[in-house]
Amino acid sequence: MGRKLLLEKAHVEGIRHYDVYRREGGYRSVEKALKMQPTDIVEEVKKSGLRGRGGAGFPTGMKWSFLAKPDGVPRYLVCNADESEPGTFKDRYLMEFIPHILIEGMIVASYALGSNVSYIYIRGEYDWITDILEVAIAEAKQNGWLGKNILGSGFDCEMYVQRGAGAYICGEETALLESLEGKRGNPRIKPPFPAIKGLWDCPTVVNNVETLAAVVPIINEGSEAYAKIGIGKSTGTKLISACGNINKPGIYEIDMTISVEEFIYSDEYCGGIPNGKKLKACIPGGSSVPILPANLLLTTAKGEKRLMNYEGLSDGGFATGSMMGSGGFIVLDEDQCIVKHTYTLARFYRHESCGQCSPCREGTGWMEKILQRIEIGKGTMSDIDLLWDIQRKIEGNTICPLGDAAAWPVAAAIRHFRDEFEWHINNPEKCLTENYGLMHYADPIHVPA
Amino acid sequence: MIQFKETSLHKVNEIISRYPKGKQKSALLPVLHLAQVEFGGWLDVPVMDYVASLLSIEPIEVYEVASFYSMYNLKPVGKFVFEVCQTGPCMLNGSDQIIDYIKQQLNIGVGETTTDGLFTLKTVECLGACGYAPMMQFGKTYREHLTKEKVDAIIKECRAKAN
Repeated sequence: MGRKLLLEKAHVEGIRHYDVYRREGGYRSVEKALKMQPTDIVEEVKKSGLRGRGGAGFPTGMKWSFLAKPDGVPRYLVCNADESEPGTFKDRYLMEFIPHILIEGMIVASYALGSNVSYIYIRGEYDWITDILEVAIAEAKQNGWLGKNILGSGFDCEMYVQRGAGAYICGEETALLESLEGKRGNPRIKPPFPAIKGLWDCPTVVNNVETLAAVVPIINEGSEAYAKIGIGKSTGTKLISACGNINKPGIYEIDMTISVEEFIYSDEYCGGIPNGKKLKACIPGGSSVPILPANLLLTTAKGEKRLMNYEGLSDGGFATGSMMGSGGFIVLDEDQCIVKHTYTLARFYRHESCGQCSPCREGTGWMEKILQRIEIGKGTMSDIDLLWDIQRKIEGNTICPLGDAAAWPVAAAIRHFRDEFEWHINNPEKCLTENYGLMHYADPIHVPA
Repeated sequence: MIQFKETSLHKVNEIISRYPKGKQKSALLPVLHLAQVEFGGWLDVPVMDYVASLLSIEPIEVYEVASFYSMYNLKPVGKFVFEVCQTGPCMLNGSDQIIDYIKQQLNIGVGETTTDGLFTLKTVECLGACGYAPMMQFGKTYREHLTKEKVDAIIKECRAKAN
């Protein structure tokens, strides 16, 4: 059993409420942090090796150190709780069951960054979780952890929750800031980055829920202890939300030293594939990252066991690897159709494109239509090349990464499953009733009979 | 005349106080949520104009936001709205069958409302409940691990509430 830092107390009864959370050692990191210099906290987070848990994996301490500090201008911390990447539901779990760990981490981060008003931007659909967070913030305030002159340190901090209203794009940090300003979620052109010009043109840091929660164990146990967990540049623990065709969907905190095979088949984690089915493919880091067939998922191109961490999942680049992304782990069994699954993702990105950049606005709709016609048996061979061409023209040609996020799943599906696309085109009468199956994608470790 | 209840007006002022002076436009999304709940489940033009006047912004600033975000309804919906997720992970766990079953039970298509005005069926994209699929948003919360039996029970529950 790996070390747990965030979910260690998840099953303590009543941990959602302040009294229990405090009794279990909650808010110790605030007591410790308020006696430190803000710059020392930033150094600690840098040394911990913590990387942004929202998807990009950018070093958190470095992001914090970029924050501009002009005199007389307020600075803001904004928590990105707009969790919307298909396959990802880890932040929801943290906020719903252990809301105080987020608030605790945000108080420490607010102090380190000099933010006297911090916001949690939560996706609009998490309506009931907004209530949970607001109760937790009120409890924290009643007990002196928020408000004026916290613990006599002279530091003031208020915290508010803001609900979005249904837009995946608002998970992109500049779109989130636009939304928080009461506008459409259109991403901004960068530079300037939010660290220089963010919320209301003031220097702003935007961090994911899990990232901010991870600040708590880093301060409590020290950056060295935190950095010792994991391997290489994958330090600490990572929450993985596992879903799709597995026996035990849910949230798992892993220490990033385990293999993908162990994660899927061990009873401690996903517990294998239901109904005796075989593994066909997996999207290991949220719908935007490349899908991998079973053989490349479990072992790298070099034939080594693939590990569940930033370096392991990206080993081989996009040719034979994928990405850690947000930790949204989607498993597909032998009965699943890659074309259909890719079509649902293309539809998702078409729906969520903000419409600002033409490659994304036009391209996502085009890809959806082509995938749909291949899926229903009306595709042609040239459609496959057309899809490839469209995704290539979206990637890298948009203001924000939604373009890449829409292009990569389509590219990877064609790269690894081209024969399944061709089968749809060659067998129009079969593709809605029959299943292409496993073919050569079979899991090399658990060899199909 | 369109006017928030006293308690809602109080809430609007509390929301505005969360932002620096002059940045009251930031309250737009939360206030539109309040308005949608209070004024019949959707945002009619006069309602949006009222919100604009409350926040001292132009009506167009409200329209462009209301039309961007998928949770704001720009036309009337039924008393109960079923918003069923159909993205990849839910599809893998049978959301297509659940959507078909609801269509059949309510005798409506996606995006339609039953003639008695009770139910609207919508399909939505990923709601962050992939491990508990198939699922739908139902009012303030989620209904997860949907089966035909659960759908029947939810419909029954709604009809009982309506009577």
